[in-house]
Amino acid sequence: MGKPLIMLNSITYAIKAKDILFRNGIASYIERTPHPERAMGCGYSLYVPDRILEAQSVLTAAGIKIIKTDLGGKSK
Amino acid sequence: MIYLDNAATTYPKPKQVINTVATAISKYGGNPGRSGHSMSIQSAMQVYETRQAISNMFNIDGPENVVFTQNCTHAINTVLKGYLKANDHVVISCLEHNAVLRPLHSLKEKIDITITKANVYPMDNDRTLDSFRQAINSKTRLIVCIHGSNVWGIKLPIERICALAHQYGIKVLVDAAQTGGLCNIDIQDSGIDFLCIAGHKGFYAPMGIGALITKYGENLQPLIEGGTGTNSISPKQPELMPERLEFGTQNMLGICGFKAGIDFTQKKGINNIFKHEMTLIDIIYEQLLKIKGIKIYTPKPDPMYFVPVLSFNLSNFSSEEVALKLDKNNIKVRAGLHCAPLAHEFAGTLSTGAVRICPSVFTSQKDIEYFIFILKKIAGNLI
Repeated sequence: MGKPLIMLNSITYAIKAKDILFRNGIASYIERTPHPERAMGCGYSLYVPDRILEAQSVLTAAGIKIIKTDLGGKSK
Repeated sequence: MIYLDNAATTYPKPKQVINTVATAISKYGGNPGRSGHSMSIQSAMQVYETRQAISNMFNIDGPENVVFTQNCTHAINTVLKGYLKANDHVVISCLEHNAVLRPLHSLKEKIDITITKANVYPMDNDRTLDSFRQAINSKTRLIVCIHGSNVWGIKLPIERICALAHQYGIKVLVDAAQTGGLCNIDIQDSGIDFLCIAGHKGFYAPMGIGALITKYGENLQPLIEGGTGTNSISPKQPELMPERLEFGTQNMLGICGFKAGIDFTQKKGINNIFKHEMTLIDIIYEQLLKIKGIKIYTPKPDPMYFVPVLSFNLSNFSSEEVALKLDKNNIKVRAGLHCAPLAHEFAGTLSTGAVRICPSVFTSQKDIEYFIFILKKIAGNLI
């Protein structure tokens, strides 16, 4: 079972997304995307230990393009 | 040493910039945006913070709309070669630098663009605007204008030029090499579509760093393609900014120095720096008028219409001779054409060039007094 991850396009968007989540009270950590082939090659993801679906909504509302959200076995 | 060549690059650099660059080379050794280890992420955070500082300073939404370039010329080339298509028409001002003229000349030869030069009338913005209006035709896709002339210090009414251009659906590129860090520029208020800046002039950053600031970057064809650390399977350059227009390893030291330079100018206050330099230019102008044989080509610099750059000539001497004599007295200025033949054509100095002086935040009134003292000696053939 993997970690809950939000895969993003670049380090720039990963840092921007982390900033946005922080301002919304959601903790996240920047990591390299663990399985690059699933995200069209190397990239950066945010590990969001809790509230990943909320994090996804916040980022989408902020106009951040998400490549993929991997719930990592979490249902919510 | 008295350094009055700040229009070429500012010197000295503030201690904060020097210390930051020294720290960066030892602390931020990881390649930003390439790896997942902590040092790479820390470097990436520094790059992002600089993007954020620039986006805040120029009031553009999103740090991703700040593209790091080698210099202002690189930023200008990125727009001209990434935006213009065959048979497009471009309007430029009559004061443009070779950073604009040469890429446009190349595009004219390769894809048959056409170019019209709009005249600039110092201290008469209505007339200048009218000149731009008359230069526009049905094929015009871009207006390129320098914000502050690197030779004569003449400031163009960029807000009004943008408003005019947008009436016709034309985009505007502003070359702010001389004004970034010295004049307040608000991208949203002014309507600038592509803002090109240099880090090493008004921001007191190291040489070799500049930026293109635009929300239209995703519409530009990349000037150079290559590794971005992302989307590596695809043979195509990423579509999203800033990676669309950035390639290869970044100038980490330049970027860190850029941020320190922005902090420096903001702490000093852009308006305070501008006022200080214009006061010195005013003194120089008044003193030059009193020296026999001095030729000045512009009206007394009004801060509304000028930035602190002033050029002159001294009869019986070439501009290079004057610069050389000043250098022998440890005063650094730049003579010749300043990579801006069009600007010299405008003032009738294409065959002679001119001696250019530009103070910085570190220039004192005492420095100016010594410069005038030496210039008087040169004029009187005493040295």
